[in-house]
Amino acid sequence: MKKYTRGINRRALLQYSAASGAALAAGVESPAIAQQKPIKLGYVSPQTGPLAAFAEADNFIVGNFKNATKGGIKVGNAMVPVEVLVRDSQSNPNRAAAVAKDLIVQDKIDLMLVASTPETTNPVSTQCEIEEVPCISSVAPWQSWFIGRQANPTGGPSAWKPFNYTYLFFWGLEDVIAVYTTMWGGVSTNKSVGGLFPNDGDGNAWGDKVVGFPPVLGKLGYKLTDPGRYQDLTDDFSAQLAAFKSAKCEIITGVMIPPDFTTFWKQALQQNFKPKVASIGKAILFPSSVEALGHDGNNLSSEIWWTPNHPFKSSLNGMTAKALAGAYESASNKQWTQPIGFVHALFEIAVDVLKRTPQRGDADAIVEAIRGTNLDTVVGHIQWNGANLPPFAAKNVAKTPLVGGQWRLRGGNKYDLVITENRTFPAIPVGGEMEPII
Amino acid sequence: MAEQNKPLAGAGHYRIETGTPVSLMAAVGTLIVVALLAALPLFAGRDLLENMIFVLYMLALAQCWNLLAGYTGLVSVGQQAFVGLGGYILFALTLIAGIDPLVAIILAGAISALFALPTALIVFRLRGAYFAIGTWVVAEVYRLSFAQFRQLGGGTGTSLGPDITNAVFAIDRVKSLLDVRTPAARDIISYWAALALAVGTTLLVYLILRSRRGLALGAIRDSEEAAASVGIDNARVKLAVYVIAAAVTGMIGALIYLQKARISPDAAFSVLDWTAYVIFIVVIGGIGTIEGPILGTLIFYLMQNYLASYGAVYLILLGVLAILVMLFAPKGLWGYLSQSYGLELLPIRRRLVWKKDQ
Repeated sequence: MKKYTRGINRRALLQYSAASGAALAAGVESPAIAQQKPIKLGYVSPQTGPLAAFAEADNFIVGNFKNATKGGIKVGNAMVPVEVLVRDSQSNPNRAAAVAKDLIVQDKIDLMLVASTPETTNPVSTQCEIEEVPCISSVAPWQSWFIGRQANPTGGPSAWKPFNYTYLFFWGLEDVIAVYTTMWGGVSTNKSVGGLFPNDGDGNAWGDKVVGFPPVLGKLGYKLTDPGRYQDLTDDFSAQLAAFKSAKCEIITGVMIPPDFTTFWKQALQQNFKPKVASIGKAILFPSSVEALGHDGNNLSSEIWWTPNHPFKSSLNGMTAKALAGAYESASNKQWTQPIGFVHALFEIAVDVLKRTPQRGDADAIVEAIRGTNLDTVVGHIQWNGANLPPFAAKNVAKTPLVGGQWRLRGGNKYDLVITENRTFPAIPVGGEMEPII
Repeated sequence: MAEQNKPLAGAGHYRIETGTPVSLMAAVGTLIVVALLAALPLFAGRDLLENMIFVLYMLALAQCWNLLAGYTGLVSVGQQAFVGLGGYILFALTLIAGIDPLVAIILAGAISALFALPTALIVFRLRGAYFAIGTWVVAEVYRLSFAQFRQLGGGTGTSLGPDITNAVFAIDRVKSLLDVRTPAARDIISYWAALALAVGTTLLVYLILRSRRGLALGAIRDSEEAAASVGIDNARVKLAVYVIAAAVTGMIGALIYLQKARISPDAAFSVLDWTAYVIFIVVIGGIGTIEGPILGTLIFYLMQNYLASYGAVYLILLGVLAILVMLFAPKGLWGYLSQSYGLELLPIRRRLVWKKDQ
């Protein structure tokens, strides 16, 4: 317990967990825990290494979850104790596979939860699939997670097979494309787009000529300049910049790792290349990445999966998105980040699934419960019903809403993330209009 | 024993021995341990087997690196090239060609050896520190090349499904014989494969070093010029060692990625996981000894098991330990022990011994 409250304000933690505890205990007549073996949850995320920003709020979420479920959860008529085993993938796929196997074989977990980027979710899901252990993933676009784990990734839908034990809730590439192109419609440009797609899980999907940006942009009348896949951690983007300059690109898009975007943006400004719009996936999800650009991060745009203004509530403790983000901010003295909602939702779904699974130690019963999920969470409604998905992914993927927005300089070096595009999900309120960079 | 006095004491002659009084006992002990390890799945649970698979493949990797660096003086920091290559060959053979994973492991060894030949042509033009850097560069070239191979997922990587991991040779027989679930049966077969690789590698290194070739290796390591002057064909011996190490490393890589069931270029060609840790094991245990990597692997396993959850602190600790051992026991912990107590369990050094004529 102690380990997960590091750096967190004790008072805020207590307030938050009191709320959670009360919600869980409600409706329980006899909170006596029979002498039962605890249900074991495994949770893997990149807590250290280059992707550590995704797991920044993990200690807060997991600490609260442990506190809230101290009395166990109600399964049927019994209160069953829950144990969460947290493992760090160190942002390393080898390590992710190793800790997943450890959790399965050594700790004999009942349900695996895994979050953040294909480098962690894919190896863990792969282990769960071959070990026949139920697994819920999030914070990885469904194409990277689903197609990226196929035996024949280039074979097309007819060669792709659904999974039996592994499930994901998040959004997909089609949502990013819809959000970006509607955002771009709000600014008058020459419709010349420069693409920055690296040779990694996300870059290959975004730049794909069938499922990625190129076909959609063509249809909508945009001209895409794609200088080809580059390797992550490149330190020279002059070839890309030359291509964008000669095509007079006024829009830049791509999915980049944070250090690469910083390098690209600095070199672009040095060479006096100033697009009107820069919509970049992955690189500028976190306030820290935009702050690293000094004052040059104003009006950069990005996909938004979760904010405190999302009109959703936690099923675990009834907290609104705003209250959850606020509790994190006061507990950690840091700005909220998008993964907070999704990691919280992972545990919401886990509790919901376990409550509906009275059979202990039965992996197939847990899988049945996952497939029967119908839950309103702090990131929206979760149901594996195939809505807005191609048939091949319908079984394993549940989609969450995606909107778009811009980082606005607040003064000093601080930025706020403002939602400027909600036509993809109008229930989420916008906070401002789309503005050109200059 | 004041051996230098012996020639005066009477008729006799010198002879070269490798055995020591404890070595016969050690040999018998080793056989018993190997037999016990082979029978382990009959009475051990999956948790122990899983840890043993890790220990065994790290040991096999360490013996390979020790053969290169400890005995031949080829300090490679690019062995991840062959781990990744083996892994990718396994994926290609099972996913695309539909070959049984165990057969694919053996083929991965052969194909890695074929790849090692042209690689050697490049890196053998370099010596010492340049050789080390060169091997690393080659490993990066391998990584970037496999990232272009779209059928195997390119930079994204790809996974093996249960249909492939469960198609391992004899899995049904193991299942019914030992009465276990499919994933457990797969682990048992992987365990036997890992045991065969670790014991086989150790035995291979031992036999090479006990042979005349073994003398040549030491000579090359200590001075290439001197070795050449006594008639050793340096280039041929070095090439043979490099290719053998590559073949074995390729097989180990194939086994590792059969276990992980997911491969991506950054993971498969990771210098940290497949070379830095291996160097740590050999340096801590004792470079240039057969026993050293065994001891080093056990220490590394214990540290990994109990400390890896500390993330960066764990890596710093590994580094500090390696530096301390290098400073205070430059021959590694086994080197220190064997020097202090004259222990040699699997002797490979030749000693001059005086024998009295009967």
